[in-house]
Amino acid sequence: MTAAAPSLPSILGPIRPRPRGRETRLLAIVAVTILVGSVSLQLARRVTDPGEAHGLSPANPLHLAIYLGLIGLAHLVLILSGRRMDQVLLPATAMLGGISLLLMERLPQTQVVQQVGPWKLGLGDIQLAWLILSFSLATALAVTVRSDRWLRLYKYTWAAAGVGLLVATYFLGDDINGQRLSLSLGPISGQPAELLKVILVVFLAGYLSEYRPLLVEESTKVGPISLPPLPFLAPMVAMWAIALGLVVVQRDLGAALLFFTVFLCLLYAATGRVGYVVVGVVLFLAGSYVMYRLVPTVQTRVDIWLDPFTTSSGDGYQIVQSLYAFARGGLLGTGLGAGLPTVGGHLPIPAVHTDFPLAALGEELGLVGVMAILGLFLVVVERGLRIAASAADEFRSLLAAGLALVIGTQALIIAAGNLKLIPLTGITLPFISYGGSSLLVNGIIVGLLLALSDRGVEPPPPPRPRGRLARLTGRVTRLESPPAARAPVPDPRPKAAGR
Amino acid sequence: MDPFLLTVWVVRLLFLGLLYLFLFRIARALVGDLRAAAREPGAELGRLVVVSSPAGEPEEGTSLALDAIATLGRDVNNAVVVEDQFVSAEHAILTFRGRAWYLEDLGSTNGTFVNGAPVEGVAPLDFGDVIQLGQVRLRLERPRSAASRR
Amino acid sequence: MTGSARAAGGSKPLGRTIGHVGLALTVAFGGIALGAGYWQVLRSPDLTRAPDNPAVIAAARNVVRGMIVDRDGKVLASNKRSSVTGEPYRVYPDRAFSTVIGYASTDFGTAGLEHAWNAELTGVSNRDPIGDVLRKFQSDPYDPQKLTLGISSVLQRAAVAGLGDDRGAVVMLDPTTGEILALASTPTYDTGAIANPKTSRDAFAAVSGDTNGRPLVTRATQGLYVPGSVFKIVTAIAGLGSGRISASTTFPEQPKAERDGLLVGGFRVHEHPGVPSQSFNLAAATEWSSNIWFALAGLQTGGDNLAAFAARMGFGAPLPFELPTSPSQVTNGGGSAPGGFTDETELANASYGQAETLVTPLQMALVAATIANGGTLMKPHLVIAASGRNGSRTIAPEQMGVVIGPDEAAAITAAMQRAVESAIGQQFTSGAKVPGIPTAGKSGTAELGGTGAPHSWFIGFAPVDHPRVAIAVIVERGGRGGARAAPLAGDLLALYFKTFGR
Repeated sequence: MTAAAPSLPSILGPIRPRPRGRETRLLAIVAVTILVGSVSLQLARRVTDPGEAHGLSPANPLHLAIYLGLIGLAHLVLILSGRRMDQVLLPATAMLGGISLLLMERLPQTQVVQQVGPWKLGLGDIQLAWLILSFSLATALAVTVRSDRWLRLYKYTWAAAGVGLLVATYFLGDDINGQRLSLSLGPISGQPAELLKVILVVFLAGYLSEYRPLLVEESTKVGPISLPPLPFLAPMVAMWAIALGLVVVQRDLGAALLFFTVFLCLLYAATGRVGYVVVGVVLFLAGSYVMYRLVPTVQTRVDIWLDPFTTSSGDGYQIVQSLYAFARGGLLGTGLGAGLPTVGGHLPIPAVHTDFPLAALGEELGLVGVMAILGLFLVVVERGLRIAASAADEFRSLLAAGLALVIGTQALIIAAGNLKLIPLTGITLPFISYGGSSLLVNGIIVGLLLALSDRGVEPPPPPRPRGRLARLTGRVTRLESPPAARAPVPDPRPKAAGR
Repeated sequence: MDPFLLTVWVVRLLFLGLLYLFLFRIARALVGDLRAAAREPGAELGRLVVVSSPAGEPEEGTSLALDAIATLGRDVNNAVVVEDQFVSAEHAILTFRGRAWYLEDLGSTNGTFVNGAPVEGVAPLDFGDVIQLGQVRLRLERPRSAASRR
Repeated sequence: MTGSARAAGGSKPLGRTIGHVGLALTVAFGGIALGAGYWQVLRSPDLTRAPDNPAVIAAARNVVRGMIVDRDGKVLASNKRSSVTGEPYRVYPDRAFSTVIGYASTDFGTAGLEHAWNAELTGVSNRDPIGDVLRKFQSDPYDPQKLTLGISSVLQRAAVAGLGDDRGAVVMLDPTTGEILALASTPTYDTGAIANPKTSRDAFAAVSGDTNGRPLVTRATQGLYVPGSVFKIVTAIAGLGSGRISASTTFPEQPKAERDGLLVGGFRVHEHPGVPSQSFNLAAATEWSSNIWFALAGLQTGGDNLAAFAARMGFGAPLPFELPTSPSQVTNGGGSAPGGFTDETELANASYGQAETLVTPLQMALVAATIANGGTLMKPHLVIAASGRNGSRTIAPEQMGVVIGPDEAAAITAAMQRAVESAIGQQFTSGAKVPGIPTAGKSGTAELGGTGAPHSWFIGFAPVDHPRVAIAVIVERGGRGGARAAPLAGDLLALYFKTFGR
């Protein structure tokens, strides 16, 4: 009577529509909100440019229709797939995506221009295209991923792939501003560091879930400090150190901070030992200090962070303009489209569509709006952690937690940087910043989270037995006799079978 | 007060208000879920009822709540500690996967049995099945609260 | 055993640790929200007014700036429209105010008061949160404010005229409120020419190229000078305030030192000629302007007290004022002796206003105002009212600090009155006394070393019984205090009483 794991059905599974009422209701609110936002944007344009009377009409109705249609389609696909997945994730990310679209509509379209055949695509067009791709990818992953075997079992392969990607970027990447962060394949270029986040989380989740009891119960003591047992700590730290080192060498400090924070959080989640976190934080502070002394760019960044106003015409210009934008917003904001006074025809904040979207939104939506956006990110993180807490086994739990952490921590780091709470780093605000790689990877994350939240998904494989020998070798062994000392000696065989 | 500007501001505030309506709906649902979970403490996936236990550990007639993974055996570190001379230190493991319970023998000396039949590999269980380790018999029961699976 | 199964081997179940991580993230997001609140609500008023805020710059280009008037309503800055471009530009009728009001030019930005109050003059943001919210609903988002200054044109013009071709500064203020009545610096420059788009380029080139006169440096607030004997008041304040000396303190070594000079750390402090060889108390020492008494007083007071009491009046940092100020200093702070002095010699020399002491005329006016107001210093300010479409408000007087008590101030007042009114004192402060009005003051002759005349200083206030005006005058290279500064101060004080009554 062996139980085989349910065989993998055809890639999409049978179509068994199941209503998703909560998601429908929430998406309705999203649609209305984005519509109202679009109207607000158009009205602001009318204020500065009276022209003809348009009445209450949305700005760029075509984009709006395409985006809302996309979200509706995703919703429909999820309904048709009949899977019992989380119903809040899609609406929350759709709201964030909608805000992003509004922002990219609002900014001058000439910020980014791409020529595709006969068409000239501006900022809003390109962001919409990436949003389409991102949500399509998320939906596809949510619906097709039924087995986590490919994630769980090949963790070292994933680790190697991640490192390989990073090395390739270092040697083959495009040099922009002294940083090699992009990799180009023909006309498509992306930032592998984004994908690396997900790979790192997959590896950590697999590794930590497998060796969790060992990490919890045993530890290597270095003086009064207890570290995770060294043989098991080593691969993790190696993987993380390589990632860290390469991003530091490439001076992508935001990614380094992100990796580090996610690593520590997952370590705590898996082991529950606060001591490890403390040690990690101490190491981080020590390492940061060393970097501050040795690396001039780090020094500049920290000095700008500490007092940007004295260098406000030089290096500190960006962050000072960001703070001015927040200050101009006040409590309620200036209204979508009405902020960001131009200086000589240019936007006051350089690179606002990639690095400072929160400043622009802070100015136009005010403190009230900023808190709403932070709330949206918190919702996404909360749903992810809830998926983690109710997952069927530890791997899925850690994976979901890690993915949620990636989004949450990234949002935290860039928001804090915009507000001069920590030095500025060059990472993107998930779903809101302009950037294809960022949107795609976040789409992957949401897709995986939805897949993990499916309560009908294939059950996880059995946990490896925890006999003592098995612990050491990590392999399944059948024991002839029970292990020594405390185990009681069994008596001769019991009565014949068949009671 | 310019009426057009007033309209513009009404629309802007409406936008902000809708954002908060969205968050409020989610928060209300979250609170509702938490309250539901709190009302049923220890929402379980299943229970083990001790049918017979000669050594008295666990006591006959007791009902044990099960988490998704439960180890059974004589060693005190097991989720279900079974005292019996025919039971190995780590005897068997019960896992809840997807929608059903599965039982696997961990290489015990005397084997594990379900309704009398020896377990080979991973055996699926139904509620009501009786597991036997050594001389101890345990019956798998449904969880106490029907609404434990959301 | 109850069946609460722990996750295999774990001390804390995974659900719980994940919950902790979620809590940590929530707290972190809360921190971000607080940070946003800080910048968007708490710091919003001063950031939206910052002159390099793009909103302010944009407003300056489009808006008709608010007018600036003096305390009697006389127009000091107004606007005209260019016949060529149709854009408004600034007009300044009175050149005597150039160093105070500065200019607002489309080509060269803003300076002076036009710069400091740029946000209010363009109406981008006023120090009035309710008005700011109301403005959101009005079709004209800008509400330029009309500024009323406390300055009196009569006094300002007379001060500039009195300084004549010399370089220098006059500061007059009301010690009970801190309102500035006159803030004159010479040389003045033609701000109107800079503001006028037709002539701006040439005018600006001429002004910035004037390395001799440097009119863009507002001497009253930014000029740092050796104070000479006017600094003795600061020493008196520190001494009486700290209790180390009293009004009747005498020094037994003084008579001999008057003859031979006072030996301090290898350096001999000399008296200026004419001072008798006897013991003085505070009043007599002020009357005679005795270097040696004050050197001894300073040594007895101690460097730390001197620095501390000076700091109470604003020394050591830029003054809280609408125009940029240079910090005055009692020493350059490099030394290891108390108060930052190098040694006793420096302390002794600083006590009578030489060594490394450097002061601005505004700072010395504040010293006089402190004594005049019974030891309590009021914050100096130029603007006394601002009015716009949504109402007007007055800028209330604000206390800057209690420097010394009224008794000590009274003792110093008595000493300063003798310095102006007694026969002996008038040798040094000739012309400072206002006929019929009890006047107090101190002259100063700041030796600069080398050839060339010393700076001529005077600080004072009147009437002694209930002071209404405090004054500080410096004429660069004007000679002795009594040569230029004291008589000019006397004229201006007399003019004040003539204009405003007793």
